[in-house]
Formats: sequence, structure tokens, C-alpha cells
Amino acid sequence: MKVEIVTRRGGEEAVVEYDYVRRDENEKPMILDVLLQAQATEMPDLAFRYGCRARNCGVCTVDINGRPRIACRARIKEGDRISPMATLPALSDLVVRRDGVARQMRGRLATAGQGNDLNVEAPDDYHALTGCIECYACLHECPMHARNFGGGLPEDQTPENRPDPAEGYRYGNPFSLLKLQRIRIDPLTSEAGKAAALNNAIDLGLDACVGCKGCKCGVGIDLMGKVVRPMLEAASDRLDSKI
Amino acid sequence: MPIDVDWCEYDVVVVGSGGAGSHAAQAAAATGARVLVVSKDPIGCSDTKISEGIATVRESGSNDDSEETLSENLKMAGGDLPVNAITDAFAADSKDAYDAYRMQGLRPDIDAERDTPKPLPLPMGGHTRRRSVGHRNSGVAFGHANWNAVVQGDSIDYLEDSWFLDLVTEESDHGAKTVAGGLIYHAALGKLIAVKTSSVVIACGGLSTLYFPKTDTMRGNTGDSYAIAARAGADLVDMEQVQFLPFCLASPPSYEGLLVGEPVTASYLGVLRDRNGKVILDGVFLRTRAECSSAIMRAVEDGRGSPNGGAYLDMTANKRPPRSGPYFMRFLESALPSAYKVARQAMSKAAANCEEPWEVRPSAHYMMGGIRADEHGAAVAGDGDGSAERGLTGLFTAGQAMGGVFGANRLGSTSLTEGAVFGRRAGAAAAALARRSQSRKIREDLFRPLIEATRARFGQKGDCAAAGLKLELQKAAWIDIGPVRTADRIAEMERVLSDLEAKLERVVIPEYAEWNQAFIEFEELRNLIASARAVSVASRERDGSLGGHVRLDGKQISPFSQPYSTVVTQNAARDWQVRRVERDRTPLKQILSFKYQDMKRKAQVKWLRMLPAGMQDRALEKKYLAVMGAGGAAEEVMPGGTNAAVGEATQA
Repeated sequence: MKVEIVTRRGGEEAVVEYDYVRRDENEKPMILDVLLQAQATEMPDLAFRYGCRARNCGVCTVDINGRPRIACRARIKEGDRISPMATLPALSDLVVRRDGVARQMRGRLATAGQGNDLNVEAPDDYHALTGCIECYACLHECPMHARNFGGGLPEDQTPENRPDPAEGYRYGNPFSLLKLQRIRIDPLTSEAGKAAALNNAIDLGLDACVGCKGCKCGVGIDLMGKVVRPMLEAASDRLDSKI
Repeated sequence: MPIDVDWCEYDVVVVGSGGAGSHAAQAAAATGARVLVVSKDPIGCSDTKISEGIATVRESGSNDDSEETLSENLKMAGGDLPVNAITDAFAADSKDAYDAYRMQGLRPDIDAERDTPKPLPLPMGGHTRRRSVGHRNSGVAFGHANWNAVVQGDSIDYLEDSWFLDLVTEESDHGAKTVAGGLIYHAALGKLIAVKTSSVVIACGGLSTLYFPKTDTMRGNTGDSYAIAARAGADLVDMEQVQFLPFCLASPPSYEGLLVGEPVTASYLGVLRDRNGKVILDGVFLRTRAECSSAIMRAVEDGRGSPNGGAYLDMTANKRPPRSGPYFMRFLESALPSAYKVARQAMSKAAANCEEPWEVRPSAHYMMGGIRADEHGAAVAGDGDGSAERGLTGLFTAGQAMGGVFGANRLGSTSLTEGAVFGRRAGAAAAALARRSQSRKIREDLFRPLIEATRARFGQKGDCAAAGLKLELQKAAWIDIGPVRTADRIAEMERVLSDLEAKLERVVIPEYAEWNQAFIEFEELRNLIASARAVSVASRERDGSLGGHVRLDGKQISPFSQPYSTVVTQNAARDWQVRRVERDRTPLKQILSFKYQDMKRKAQVKWLRMLPAGMQDRALEKKYLAVMGAGGAAEEVMPGGTNAAVGEATQA
């Protein structure tokens, strides 16, 4: 089975055709199976991230034909092109730099205060949100995240114009909103903490969600219903001017 | 051009950002220390995040639980290898450590009547009390808590995509060694970072990648913890004790090695069968992981294994009865939701519905040995339980990196608690040492040899690829130092290792600095080889079957014999050495009473299996009702149906 793998060294991009040898005749391999076999045979220093092989750790996301897929649990077919996630700056082969997303959340998170009764039930929606594995598939076509790169993608910018991930990206994304919404519906968050979470969402560019057709989660969380709309509703009087 | 070096200085450096690392960082930062967390994978993407998400919380299930009972459970299960002070510390801190997770957002279901987190309906194998608390979204829920603590950054700095390569130490005139810092490869920046510090907490996991793909753990478990500590001269303990989880998949290839069940999920009537259908282990749900793994591997070695080198877990008797069967299925789905999800995806519908037996094979899951430490996670050396005064000053450890907690067998649900308990202790102890070392001036020249040696690797010429050598190593490790061992196999492993060590110097590494995968593969292979060395020499010294593995050429080591642990060190000439240290044996009366209770519980299940079908069904229904309540287990909330997942849908 022939597939294409986009490689990159020192900023130079190349497309390598790789012929996957099926391990049994009926095998429908996952993307990760192809990458592991390529590394074991013809491409020993092929760079890619992976971790658990069971769709739990969230680090192996790559693009297949331009759309994000979790490599360990997405099947691949003849002629597919594997490339690094386009929404984050590429480092080497299929490895992208992820840390600009997490770093924007520094100082915006919450810790339960001392003396709280910890034996409280969280609502079901809270648990729906902690199902997020941080795969960053939701960054795909997110207008809020694209603002970091002048409305486009990192590779559209010259390297000098790209924001420094070490500073944390200025604008948010569905993942960062999910983290903030989680704080808002945690029974242990104070009223001030809930207000701060909403302020942070607005600061990260929540207005970009107004009129957006929606985001898609890598593990099936209803991002629009459980994250974006509740926040837009709570912030409606403050975003009115922009609707 | 040689790769650049940046310099920095911190009070405490924590290597690893999983359960142990994040708690160590929080505990150190809480005392006012300046903390740097170094993580090669993204923050929090550790074994904790991908675990089943079940934690040991003392007294969560019954009021008759106590520190003494929990500590005794750990020690007995571990074949008396665990250090008393360490199991006592685990038992004492287990509730507070769990609450530290909750401070960062972990929210369990609550038993309203008892006002405690709600434990699983049955005790996990080897626990004599119900105290294993499961969580929605399994380990991912813990991953959020760890991430939250590190990223929030209350006086914690962190680096990801950063490989901690080695410790830098300073030797006094009379030969005592002290930590002076370490060298980091920051792959995303393409730089080396030299960090000066008096306190390093090694909390970067285990070595299960040595057995890939026969493992259910994170790829990053390349033995970094043990290799880094050993190269700095620290003692490693119980390194022959690799835990193999019995019920993992042998096929299809994409799922090979992944976990599908635990002894407890086999429920009242689950048994293990060989290829001929003969029962090789009954009462599975009351067995430890080691007992199950060993039964499977003995059948395989005897030529009675399944086609892919395992055996059959038969739970059909649980499913069949009309009244109790539905309870069993709900129990199976809710006790280990993510393992059961894997089973459903990978196996046939009939098997997933428990109408057919499951083909299972052990997978490497956890290193129960590790860096030899005291109950504060401080590295120790010397006889008996060792002392921190004689150990490498400034080296601390927690989590899977640490030895002495579990000995020969780790009970289910204990590792998440362990990470937090000893992470907190190690973080606090590391910060205390940093305060005492405030006036210390660390010299840059101590770092020079390591910096120059590392720089020289970039651009190394040769004819080998590290990725290929790694595959050779993994294949040999499963056969020679896997769940089944003999003296001959261990000798063969040592021969393979000598060969690989020579080839390491011939690995090709290009010169470029930014995300140099060949350099990363080289470093991880170097650590895997060092860890395999430690496992091999320790296995040589352990001349009988105990806990995690079977010695085909040795006897089962009796619980009544004098227990000992193996201690492995690498001396200044880089030779691996092993010796024994004696452990305290649990008083005879206590062992006998434990054995009696254990036999009694097993006999009760045997009796249950003999009942006529109708009576058995009603008896089981009563049992399930008692532990799960009329509504059965709580319905599981998963992040979304498999249909909704991007991972599953390829026809976009």
C-alpha cells in the first residue's frame, strides 16, 4: 500500500513515497502502523510523536490529506498523504511545536482553595470536558487560533513574523476555552473564579466564535454545545457590539 | 558549528511531568523554591494520563480499613521486598495525596452515605478492603490535574520537548558525591541547557518500552530514570521485578500489547484456560497480577499456549446466567471502561459480549524496582534499607522511577497514589535540601566534560541506525529477560547488550541541532541498554521465581524464607555490580493468617462454581446487588461515541 509522507529537515520540505507491507492480508493499518514500519525499515530517523497507541495521550495527531487525525486510531488508505498538523509550526518531519497553546493558559487556571469540602459531585458536563485528551485536532479551521498567524496558518508567515510559542499564543482555541469552561462549571470554583474564567475567554478572543460554524473535537466532545455556546451566552452583553 | 549551550539555575529540578513529577513540583514550589520541570513529552502526557484512572484511597470503602492494613497488603503482595518505612508512608499519605489531585480538579463520584469518594464494587486483587476509586474518563482525568498544576505555574517553570540527558555531580575530597546540576537537550529550540541545582527529582517513569510492542504503556518509558541515576553512581533496587499485566491483547497488530482487563474484571466465575480448554487458574478475580501472568506464561512454555503466545480468559460463565449475567456485563463495562473499550474495538462482537473466551497475553506494564530511596524519595546506599547520608546527595525520586515501594508485585490502583504520595514527599525534601544549600556556588567547569561529550555526538559518523538497534534489543528483551527467564537466557541477553553497546558508538547522527531525531533515538537507546543491563544482572542474582517473572530453572521462592532485595550499581569503571540486602520478614503468625484468609476467600468462590445453575445465578445476583446496588454500576460518561471520533473516521 503506497502512501506519501511529508518530511522536513532544516526547513526543507520533501514528499517521500512509502510502500507499506501489510502484516496480514486483511490488515487495515492505522496511520501509526505505517509510521512505525517506515522508521523500522527505510526511514530510521523519521520524526513523529506518539505515546499510548490507544487514543488516550493525544500526542500523535497528524494531518491526513490536510485534516487532523489521531494517528494511532485512524486507518489509512492507498494514496493518503501524511503531513504535520498545519495549525502549529512544523519542527522536523511530522513533529510540530505544541507548547504555544498550553503556555497561553499560564496564570489563567484554577486550584481549589484550602478548606473546601472536596466530596462534592461534579455535573455530567464537567466529566464530558475532562474527556479531552489535548490532541489539538480542534485547532483545524479555528478562526480564533488563526488570528495568531494573521488569520492564516503558521507556515503562511515568514519565520520572523511568527509569534514565539515560548511566550504563549495571544489568541485562544477550543481547547483553551474548554479548560476555562471546565473551571466555570466546577462546583468548587468561587464566583470570582468563574468570572475570571469568562474574562480570560474574552481576553483570548471569544468574539471570534460569534457566527462561527463550529469546531470539531478529536474525541467527539460537543465543543459547540458544551463549551462555546455556554460561554457566548454568558458573555453576550459584552460581545454585543461585535455580533 | 557546535550546538549552543544556555545556562540557568534553579532550587529544584524535576524530571518528568506525570503524576509523580507534577506533585513533586507543586510540593517544592509550595515551600517557596524556584522549580524547573523538564519533560520530553508534552506536559502531563505520561503513564498516569493513559492509565485506567483507579487510585487507592484508604478508608474509601469501609471504616475497618486502616494504615496498618493497607501497609500490610502492600508488603505481603510484594513478597516482603518493600521497605517498611516506605509502605507505611504510602498508607499514611494516601488520602492527602489523593486530595492533592482533587485540588487540581479531579472529581470522583461520591458515596453520599459515607461521604467518601466511591470505590469500585469489589476489592482489586490482593487488597483486603474496597479502596480502589475509579474515575470517569479514566487516567485522562488525572492527566488534566497534572497539567493544571504545572502549566498554571505558581513559581514553577517548565520545558517540554526537552530530554534530561545526565546528572552533573561533584565529588568531595573524601569521595562523597553531590548533585550539581544536569544537562538538557531542548529539541524544539535546538539547544543544550545546562542547569545548576543542588536538588534533582527523577520522576520520568519506567522502562516498559524495552518490551515494545508487548506493553500497554507510553512510548517514552525508555528507562531514562534508571540509566541517569545509575550513570551518576546511585543504587538501583529490585530491578528484576518488572510487572507484567496478565490480560493484554496479542492481536490484531495495531492493538498488540494493550490492556483489556484486570484480575478483578474476571468477576466471580472467570477462569484462565489453555489451548486445550483446560482450566489453568480459577478464582481469577482474587488473584494478583503476578499469579495470572505466571499461569499464562507457564502454559505457553509448556506448549499449551494460544496461537499468539498467550492463553484464554474465559468469562462466559459470568455472562450466561439470565439474572446475574446483565449485572456482570455492567460491572465489566464500568470497572475498567477504557480497557473494555479497547476490547470492544479489537475483538469480535461475540468475544466483546463475553460469549467467547478472550485470547490474552501478558504485557510489560510497570517497573516495581527502581532508584533505591528512603520514604522521602532521597537516594540511599549502604546495607539493609540504606541511608540517605551514604547515598548521592541531592538525588530524589518518585513514582515508577523509585524502588522499594512494591517489591515483587504491585497491587492494582496503587501507582496513581504512589506518584502523588512520593512526589509530594520528594518535592518537599528536595526543596529543604535546596534551602540548606543556598550559599553554595556551583562551578561551570563541572559541566564541561559532559557538554563536550554531548556536542561531539552531533555529527557522529558510523554505519548503524539507533531505531534498528532498538528493535533488536526489544525482541531479545522479551525472550531473555521477559516474563519467563533462565540463567542461559539471561546470559544471552548480556551477550546481546555487549554487542549493542559496541554498536552505539557507530550510530549515525547528523549535525543539525533542531529536533534531531537520530540524536533522540541514540539517547533513548543508550538508556534502554543501561536499564536492560540492570534488569539482567538483578535477574541473575534472583535465582528463583518471585513476583513479576517465572524462573524456569529455579524454584518458587517461599514466603517463609528470608526475603532479600537485589541492589545494582554501575561502578566508576562502568561495570555493573549486584549484591543482596536482607529485608524483614513479616512475622510468621501474620503470614499464616493472611494465607488462611486468602484460601478461605478462594474456597468460597470454588463452592460458588459448584452450585447448580439456578441457585448459582440467584447467589450471584445477590452478590452483585450487594456491591453495585439495584441500579447497577453508574453509567459511564465517555468523551463521545466512537463514531464521532476523528480518529475513527477516515473517509473525510
